Amino acid sequence: MTDTPTIHFKEQALALLPAGANFDACLTCGLCSSGCPASGIENMDPRKFIRMAMLGMDRELSTTPWVWCCTQCKRCQHVCPMSIDISQLVFLARSNWPRELKPAGIVRSCELIQATDSTSAMGLPPEDFVFVVADVLEEVRSSQPAFAHLQAPMDKKGAHFFVNQNSREPMNEPDEMVPLWKIFDLVGADWTYSSKGWAAENFCMFAGDETAWYEVIKKRVAAVEELGCRVWLNTECGHSYYTMWQAISRFGLEVSFELESLISYYARWIREGLLPVNSDWNRDGIKFTVQDPCMIVRKAYGESIAEDMRFVVRTLVGEENFIDMQPNRSANYCCGGGGGFLQAGMTDHRRTYGKRKFDQIAATGAAYVLTPCHNCHSQMEDIGHHYGGSYGVVHFWSLICLSLGILGENERTYLGPDLLALLA
Amino acid sequence: MSATARDHWCDLAVIGSGIAGFAASIFATNRQIATAQVGNTGAIAYTTGYLDLLGSLYADPNPLVNPWQGLAHLRQEEPHHPLSRLPVELIRQAFNEFTTFVTNAGIGYTPPGDENITALTPVGTGKQTLCLPTTMAAGPLALAARRAAVIVDFKGLKGFSGRQVVANLRHCWPELCSARLTFPGMARGEIYPEVMARALEVAGTRRELADQLRQAAAGAGCVGLPAVLGMHHPDRVHQELEELSGLTIFEIPTMPPSVPGIRLREMFEQLFPQRGLTLIPQQKVDRLSFTDDGPLLELADNYGPVTIRAKAVLLATGRFLSGGLVADRNRISESLLQLPVSQPAERAEWYRQQYTDRRGHPIHRAGIEVDDSCRPVDRNGRVVDPRLFAAGVILAHQDWIRGRCGAGIAIATAFRAVAAAEQLLRR
Amino acid sequence: MAGEERIETEVLIIGGGVTGTGIMRDLALRGLASLLIDQRDLCAGASGGNHGLLHSGGRYVSNDLHSAVECRQENLILKQVAPHCIEDTGGLFVAVDGDDPDFASRFPTLCAAAGILCEEVLPAEARRLEPLLSPRLIKAYAVPDATVDPFRLALANVAEAARVQGSLYRPHTEIVSFAITDGEITSVSCRDRLSGARLCIVARQYINATGAWAMAVARLAGCHNVRLSYSKGTLLVSHDRLTARVINRLRPPGDGDILVPGGTVSVLGTTSVRTDNLEGVRPTVAEVDRNVREGQAMLPDLATARYIRAFSRIRPLLQSSGEDDRGATRGFALVDHRQEGLNNFCTITGGKLTTFRLMAEKTCDLVAGRLGNSSPCRTATLPLDDGGACRWTEPGAAAKYWYQANDAEDMVLCECEMVPASAIDEILACAPGLDETMSLEAIALRSRAGKGPCQGSFCGIRIASYLYERGYYRDRTGLYHMRNFFNERFKGMQTVIWGRQAAQMELAEALHCGLLGLDNLEESDSDSGQAPDSGGSR
Repeated sequence: MTDTPTIHFKEQALALLPAGANFDACLTCGLCSSGCPASGIENMDPRKFIRMAMLGMDRELSTTPWVWCCTQCKRCQHVCPMSIDISQLVFLARSNWPRELKPAGIVRSCELIQATDSTSAMGLPPEDFVFVVADVLEEVRSSQPAFAHLQAPMDKKGAHFFVNQNSREPMNEPDEMVPLWKIFDLVGADWTYSSKGWAAENFCMFAGDETAWYEVIKKRVAAVEELGCRVWLNTECGHSYYTMWQAISRFGLEVSFELESLISYYARWIREGLLPVNSDWNRDGIKFTVQDPCMIVRKAYGESIAEDMRFVVRTLVGEENFIDMQPNRSANYCCGGGGGFLQAGMTDHRRTYGKRKFDQIAATGAAYVLTPCHNCHSQMEDIGHHYGGSYGVVHFWSLICLSLGILGENERTYLGPDLLALLA
Repeated sequence: MSATARDHWCDLAVIGSGIAGFAASIFATNRQIATAQVGNTGAIAYTTGYLDLLGSLYADPNPLVNPWQGLAHLRQEEPHHPLSRLPVELIRQAFNEFTTFVTNAGIGYTPPGDENITALTPVGTGKQTLCLPTTMAAGPLALAARRAAVIVDFKGLKGFSGRQVVANLRHCWPELCSARLTFPGMARGEIYPEVMARALEVAGTRRELADQLRQAAAGAGCVGLPAVLGMHHPDRVHQELEELSGLTIFEIPTMPPSVPGIRLREMFEQLFPQRGLTLIPQQKVDRLSFTDDGPLLELADNYGPVTIRAKAVLLATGRFLSGGLVADRNRISESLLQLPVSQPAERAEWYRQQYTDRRGHPIHRAGIEVDDSCRPVDRNGRVVDPRLFAAGVILAHQDWIRGRCGAGIAIATAFRAVAAAEQLLRR
Repeated sequence: MAGEERIETEVLIIGGGVTGTGIMRDLALRGLASLLIDQRDLCAGASGGNHGLLHSGGRYVSNDLHSAVECRQENLILKQVAPHCIEDTGGLFVAVDGDDPDFASRFPTLCAAAGILCEEVLPAEARRLEPLLSPRLIKAYAVPDATVDPFRLALANVAEAARVQGSLYRPHTEIVSFAITDGEITSVSCRDRLSGARLCIVARQYINATGAWAMAVARLAGCHNVRLSYSKGTLLVSHDRLTARVINRLRPPGDGDILVPGGTVSVLGTTSVRTDNLEGVRPTVAEVDRNVREGQAMLPDLATARYIRAFSRIRPLLQSSGEDDRGATRGFALVDHRQEGLNNFCTITGGKLTTFRLMAEKTCDLVAGRLGNSSPCRTATLPLDDGGACRWTEPGAAAKYWYQANDAEDMVLCECEMVPASAIDEILACAPGLDETMSLEAIALRSRAGKGPCQGSFCGIRIASYLYERGYYRDRTGLYHMRNFFNERFKGMQTVIWGRQAAQMELAEALHCGLLGLDNLEESDSDSGQAPDSGGSR
């Protein structure tokens, strides 16, 4: 069996973290651990991580499986008076694990991403993606007369938006792609899919495989550049945005397009009247809450995208039917679906982690959680079942189309009976 | 990709997110002043939730009963103390406005009274405070009435022992005993008040805890427990637990990181954006400059640079813990504008020999000088910039630790500074 | 006297420094039981207030050849018999631009004369080994310096003596008077400084191993041939460990010229000031700054490092020396008071941590001989065996034990040094004579609790609450224990509160005074139990 090399964490922290926000600035006050859902798992927590680094327990830190339970959500840094970032050291520890000891699920997902030009973690090759999109499109055109003209452009040069897609839809539930196409159709967006680099997931970062991470991003950047798109539009996925955005500065990539999140466009299109959604449909006052994905809120855009997201939700479900989770926005808890936790095969730990999220959701009493992130989506569904919750988890696109009265019959996978009843 | 600059405009920019900063934002929004607030996690996360005005007159070990009379003494003894320079009526008004606001926001506070309340501490000592959260209010009353009560602690919660509280209070509270419970759903390992508080936002956890409390009370009718009764609706959680258990229940603050401070911070972070205030939480201002157009604040978050342009700016950056003041080996300086800091002549004078010396340490009295409108002044007493105001414990000539007057200084000077800023802005 | 406790023992050892505890063990290994008393607790004087440097002898080659040779010998012995108390770091002597090049070039010859291994290391290589060394380095030599944990040595000595011979240790016991009849001490009258109770100790032999207090104790017995002068030294502890090895300035001994790693921290020192005052010795800002100023010539980072502590101690110097205390002999003196008419009393003083074992050996040779015991000294060869009970003083050890045990129910009470409740339990169970009035300082002495960046400000509260929980504290006495502990820790912090430590301190004081009101505790009887100023130990 391969041994895990030992990292000198204190030295690495000195190199990686800014002066004043380094491990030696720690007041050991414990706000990080108090606010971390991974505290207690494997007997670890963020403060212990820092102290063990300072005490020279490099062997232990190099081998603790806790680094696979920390989702690198950066909430510890967010609440730290000294702004100490532990997640970078967690990434380093992950990178340092021998490949064969790393959680196989994450490694496998990263391998699959590298295996095809799709960069799909499910290994869906470009030709299959092209086929599925065309197939679904044809089906919609023929079965939904109102959308006989619907487009799902593929490899369209010069399109404004390069749109990515989580592999889960083309692979497992292709009809769930349709609501998004309808939205683009309605607002008149000039968009395209690409047969290459279209997938919206990147487990190579979670695997701590920096080289692979870089290679994936290079492929995606090349795909966007090849089509000459102005905007790389990240759809409802958290980490695909973060891995792209981070990689561009981390690896010093020059790109001629902008990175945007679909959420801000939803908000923009609603404000501009292009998406005439309202909450009239919600006549029974079904309650909704929203999950801020760490990857696009706390770790990237901050409050501005959180505000956009709330504007969209309030418009969609009605002011009085929106109940915010507490805490929220940049202070929100990671659900435990991030960091590759869902793929890591550590189910018990992941659910322990998710208990805080479950409590948060339960406290709102909401019937549905809206989230623009597939990992959040899966994790919240799982902990809901596990802890006996009765809420559902829905994509924004489903609810937008529902509000507009254009949600097709096959596009309702995540709707519960109450929502389905409204459509009956 | 270039990081997108985000630019904000406002009338008043508040720097700091401690009690003073949040108080300033309350007073400003109540006066319809377009406000932006920015500041990293400060000392507020460590507060007990007690709002003290003046708990001790210096070097007197006896608790101060009447803080309003105390202010009159203070005025004579320490005319430069920030609280000595404000009319009593203004201080009362500031406390009223602050507690009304937070009460309406869901964290109920007892209104400022004529006398201090002897509130309880996690080690079973008393602490003088003017106002306290309603979730804690029954404790001092039960103590005063010597009512039979049980102090409950929880397995896995470090630093809070019911036995300790009882051992240290029994001499004045004979019918006090303790009990240890296992918090619902948290039977193993270390548990944190923050996590317990959030779990109590869930109805099922409340029901389970209420059952346990009823059994632990063993007929006592009154139960004290660490401050974990909810994070966002503490009043509701508290009330429901009392109803479910049929007991009088009170919280005792825990050592940091404690719930009451996080409650306040998260409440403000929720409420202010709803009131139209631009809030940039958990970020530190890198640069503050005064241009012809007005004060300019520059900072950077994960996403990139942020600027705030204001007409007036209020410095509520706190002391060493929050970063408003910085001490190096030779001197104390103010971190954003290098404002003059009045301070002891040399480091050897910063601290007295005995840590718990009742007279306090001279370092605490260091700080920035302001005029009667809370405008920082230079060494010659001239206003540094008419658009610059300062509030809170960064001000000189006070020892908020020994005086038990941190919240008082924060709230009262924020009130004064905002009033002065308002005058400037309305001009 | 009515109600006075009376203890009989073979040998009474006065002074719980490394020498006293070393004597206790040495006697035990010769088959002699003893009672060790200290007016405070173990290593409260110079034993606990030094660099923790196990000298190679290199430091003394230029001015005290005899001490240099003794150090070399004892260094080797201790590395053999007490490896668990020692980190064999190696040491460097370094000269920087501006230091006397002649002194530097004579160094290897001087070392050779003392038999000390000394190898030249090229400046570039030295900086590769120790990246924080100054770029202005001109000369470097490697010597077999090491570091030693005096607390663990003392604890282990006591533990082994208790195990093999049933010897006893009593802390906070001070001598009030000696009873002398016909040239013999017949008993000593003592006072328990916590309870105030009187105590009479009867022994056949009495050993004064009180270090800097040796002159005073000898005089109490009417002996005037112990003559000491006192040198105050101040040292600093940095927040983290800056070098792997001991770093010595390659010049005649001066201020701020030794930097010694101590597990997870580094210790910088020392200053040297003549003083007459033994009590209430504390670092001054000027001394701290002088160490930093001088030290930064070797390691520029010392100017900006975060320091968590400073401490002072009094070094007893034998008064044969001249004006310059640095030039004074670092040798020790064993004074047989027979010349002054006392047949069962001797004093051992002077010396240094590195030579404590030898000092104990010489003392025991004398005392055992007087008792007709001719067993040879065994401490030079027999490994020191503490049975693991004293392991909690080793930096990082508690954290490792805790992590390996992987018991989620074992709460970490000191988060900085990661000392779990189980360690506190073990200390409570093992600490002789302390179980009833366990102070937080006594726990801190026997563990790493309170040694990290918060300097006990959080764990003092957590441990106190744990002691209440366990029933050790049952009334307001625990509050005084807390206050005294924080006051004691503060003595070491007072002069290093700047930078991040100012933030740490503000938080601590807001908690201890602003909230808990420990500044407003009424004075009480228990105050008499407060330890006198010790200048703050390590």
